[in-house]
Amino acid sequence: MSITSDDLRAGLGRIAARASADRDALCAADARLGDGDLGITVADGFAACAELDLPEDVGRAFFEMSKAWQKASSSSFGTLTATGLMAVAKTLKERTEFEPSEIGGLLATARDAMIVRGKAALGEKTVLDGLQAQVDALDACRNDDNLLDAAIRAAANTVMRFQPLPNLAGRARIFADKSVGLPDPGQLALVTMTEGLR
Amino acid sequence: MKKILNDPAAYVDEMLEGLVAAHPEIYHAHAHRVILRAGAKASGKVGIVTGGGSGHLPVFTGYVGRGLLDGCAIGNVFASPSAEQMADTIRAVDAGAGVLCLYGNYGGDVMNFDMAAETVAFEDDIRTTSVAVADDVVSAPRSEAGKRRGVAGMIYPFKIAGAAAEAMADLDEVTRLAAKASDSTVSMGMAMTPCIIPQLGRPSSVIADDEMEMGMGIHGEPGIWTGPIKTADAILDEMFDTLQKDRPLSSGDRVSVLVNSLGATPLEELYILYRRLHARLDDLGVTVVMPLVGRYATSMEMTGATLSILKLDDELETLLRAPAHCAFWSVA
Repeated sequence: MSITSDDLRAGLGRIAARASADRDALCAADARLGDGDLGITVADGFAACAELDLPEDVGRAFFEMSKAWQKASSSSFGTLTATGLMAVAKTLKERTEFEPSEIGGLLATARDAMIVRGKAALGEKTVLDGLQAQVDALDACRNDDNLLDAAIRAAANTVMRFQPLPNLAGRARIFADKSVGLPDPGQLALVTMTEGLR
Repeated sequence: MKKILNDPAAYVDEMLEGLVAAHPEIYHAHAHRVILRAGAKASGKVGIVTGGGSGHLPVFTGYVGRGLLDGCAIGNVFASPSAEQMADTIRAVDAGAGVLCLYGNYGGDVMNFDMAAETVAFEDDIRTTSVAVADDVVSAPRSEAGKRRGVAGMIYPFKIAGAAAEAMADLDEVTRLAAKASDSTVSMGMAMTPCIIPQLGRPSSVIADDEMEMGMGIHGEPGIWTGPIKTADAILDEMFDTLQKDRPLSSGDRVSVLVNSLGATPLEELYILYRRLHARLDDLGVTVVMPLVGRYATSMEMTGATLSILKLDDELETLLRAPAHCAFWSVA
């Protein structure tokens, strides 16, 4: 079943509701390593996206989401999310629908753009590791009906897998030792976003 | 906290309102925290935008003016403006010849300017280039010069690029000259008392009453050493020797120098530093062109100074001497 702007609008509404519900938990997780505003960033970013009047062109739709994120937050997580959305926008430019089988490739495009902009690498305990796990999981998934479950599982497993490791990128790097044993707030945010889609 | 303000949350916006009210012939408030040059833009001229956190006046906003910058996106104190503000600024100054983004090398600013450039390329088909000024020699070794922070010396690339754009050079040429001016500038700072972020209400770092910190960054980033206060000559010698080691000058060279107050240090003390600097350059056989002594890039009420040196060649010297005007720096 092809995905259109209407589907994106419905999905954004669901993610915004979930992001709003998870706001305080994400802020609390972030406060242990940073300035504690990640929950606000994620909730504001998706609230702004959910209010958009998305154009039929799905590329333009992702571009509008990118701009909404840029407006909602100047934090690095906000700008990185906007970067990923922009990369998808460029790939889908001038199309009115895309297929579920393309999602893994779109996530990989977003991941690559975010690595360049954030000057971070995989394995540093960031949201990028969650995206990478999702790309792998979608790649291995043979049935389109199972894509969302696979993506949710990949995001959640990434949080658990990286919890015993230190943060090596971004501001949390300063607290590398302290971060051992703590879930990464960015990886948790990806769980919120993906579970919200259900 | 001893600060003159009404409300910490209004610090940035009330500062901008005052700046525009005082100099309406120079600055124009275009949109939320976006300041442009007053008057019509020159068709076909390359636009130059900057942006960054507040708390450094005259940097960044102050250098919007004729022969300098065309627009500035302004963030909270020590915080990057949003990519959206930057994109608004780029759109507003574009006069058909493209836009150079010229700003200090800080992670958040770099990320947001890159995002803004991508946005205006996608939506408005505006061509942009970017130069992140990285003049603070203490913040990374020369082998990793791209990781250095931008400090007071960034006003030289502002001036050089601004003059080139005013002379109707194209975007590639303005960008080349901005990068050349950036590569030709080295800076180093020291501080004696820290500054207070209004919304925090207390200093973000502490220096003991009888101590100074050599190499401290303009947001209070740690320097090389903290210890008893040295004499002006000893302070200048250490800064000059560090810059000299990083990018040596020799007899016959021509330079411009900036002895800058970080906010609270008085002109008297800057001239005591300059006296020694002049003697050191004289000994080397280096000629000084257009020395700048004063408050050009600050960290609010921080006590301290930075030394910046721009090594000149004919091309850079011509552009440095070209006419320019803003509220804080004029070249006739």
